[in-house]
Amino acid sequence: MIRRNSFKAAGAACLLLFFLGLPLLGLTDYWIYTLTIGFYYALLAASWSLLVGYVGRISFAQAAMSGLGGYVSALSVIHFNLPVAGGLLLGILLAGLIGFAIGLLTLRLHGAYLGLTTIAFGEILRIAITAEHGVTEGSRGLQAPALIPGGTQLDYYYLFLAITVFSLLLMWLILRSRIGLFFQSIREDEDGAASLGVDVTLWKALAFACSSAFAGLAGGLYAHFVQLITPSMMSLQEMGFVLAMAVVGGFHNVLYAALGGVMLQSLLEALRAFGEWRLVIFGLLAILMLRFAPNGLFGMLADTLRKKGKSHG
Amino acid sequence: MSLLAISEQAINGLIVSTFYALTALGLAIIFGVLRIVNFAHGELYMLGGYAYYLAVTALGVPPVLGVVIAACALMAIGALIEGLLIRPVHQGKVDRPEEYAIMVTFALSILLLNLANSVFGPWPQRPAPLFRGRVEIGELIISGDRLAAAGTAVLLISVVLLALRFTWAGRAVRAVSQNRQAAEIYGISVARVGMIAFGVGAALAGLAGALIGPVFNVTPPMGVVPVIKAYIIVVLGGLGSIPGAVVGALILGQVESFATILIPDPSRALAYKDAYGLIVLILVLLIRPQGLFGTRERRA
Repeated sequence: MIRRNSFKAAGAACLLLFFLGLPLLGLTDYWIYTLTIGFYYALLAASWSLLVGYVGRISFAQAAMSGLGGYVSALSVIHFNLPVAGGLLLGILLAGLIGFAIGLLTLRLHGAYLGLTTIAFGEILRIAITAEHGVTEGSRGLQAPALIPGGTQLDYYYLFLAITVFSLLLMWLILRSRIGLFFQSIREDEDGAASLGVDVTLWKALAFACSSAFAGLAGGLYAHFVQLITPSMMSLQEMGFVLAMAVVGGFHNVLYAALGGVMLQSLLEALRAFGEWRLVIFGLLAILMLRFAPNGLFGMLADTLRKKGKSHG
Repeated sequence: MSLLAISEQAINGLIVSTFYALTALGLAIIFGVLRIVNFAHGELYMLGGYAYYLAVTALGVPPVLGVVIAACALMAIGALIEGLLIRPVHQGKVDRPEEYAIMVTFALSILLLNLANSVFGPWPQRPAPLFRGRVEIGELIISGDRLAAAGTAVLLISVVLLALRFTWAGRAVRAVSQNRQAAEIYGISVARVGMIAFGVGAALAGLAGALIGPVFNVTPPMGVVPVIKAYIIVVLGGLGSIPGAVVGALILGQVESFATILIPDPSRALAYKDAYGLIVLILVLLIRPQGLFGTRERRA
């Protein structure tokens, strides 16, 4: 057990060092920017896997929640003169609150029904934000104030990295506590969990709230980084992209899902020459992973490394 | 509001309903037999539109034959999808079958949408319609291409309903929908019925796309909105219920047609048109999750 934990800690430390040192290798501003966006997707994919991988409930409203966080944060900074951090906090709170409400409303719903309801919620949000162009500028896009006024790409890179790592740590702390066990017990056997005294209602709603709050944080950060957001960040197409990231990385583990986010976003930029074919490839990759390697790329990698470590020891 | 305006809205709603019903019927048949919601249904609808466009514009076949070609092509695609991706669910080859089916069809929809974007380009195509001209009933004017498409849709729906009622394959589909194990014990090949169901479901979606294509243009994202309507309809009627799909389509068509009058500002009314159905969907799921015609399951 100790060995397994040290193995995990060593892996996480290596990853952190890798991302800390990456900009020192002489990356251009363009690539620093791409990776920063990659951290946004990492956070979003991890927040989605928190719900899907651990509680076993599929939501298609994750991109919409991210958009909600972004719009709430940007609008509150513009109209109420809040500091950007205050706007972010408001976005997180509201996304979490709405997530909690959706969680409560959909308690009785399962599987495909839940998928359909969350699509409906997400689409209503997107339609409303597009239609109320008096407030949100609609599809012309809303100008959001900068997160770090006059900051360089490198400042943003390290800030996004720090927040992503902090969020992943927070998720890990939640998941390794009793709460994580409650989540997994709901995934495996809801009735069994309830009969053993797990407050299924509370934890299902809280799982939704948690997942949405992290999505809201991701969206808020994104809004104040790119400084122009449109309702298209809430589309089902975007949701499909997040799903592909989590699935390819491995949606049963928040870290693997996050790595999938950084990886696919980087690939998306690296393979620019392929145009729209990139998304075809990602879709195909996600289908193949789901069918033949449900643990994802990084899940498989960790398994083989672990096996190797065992055979050597 | 004058009687003319009311009947105009009602007829518009009715025409739209027929396409909704065609799409929703496919979804209902697939859910009934395979117990999965096909999240790629909208992209099959879109592929139907492109199959029709290729046949009519590129190959130059007459429009009626184009519709037939689109149906056959989509049936083959549907059977292929079922064989490759859906069958493992029922053979116990995947870990979490319910989650797998939802995610894999969603991923498939992303794949097909972007495939169409890459192959055909994002610009709209407009193939020749079944029928040109207009029909006048008193003061009511209905454009001919819409009426012809809606008439064909009604015809196709009747054929499917009759086939389900009286043919051997239709009986097998209904039997598997009612009780998978019992059907298997009575000698029905559930694997083959599953393939037939997905093929027919895909063909129905494709037919709707082929009929709509000449009316509203063929574009890669053309299936995104109609399929959400189809989800609303099948949930409203009861997932897997065949009469529910038809009645649900009729209700939604009228709701959308008349609800736009509720908001006075016309541009905003139009923007919110797609939201009404979604509100209906959420209300049904919260109040009566089994829908109008569905049977109550212990878990929705």
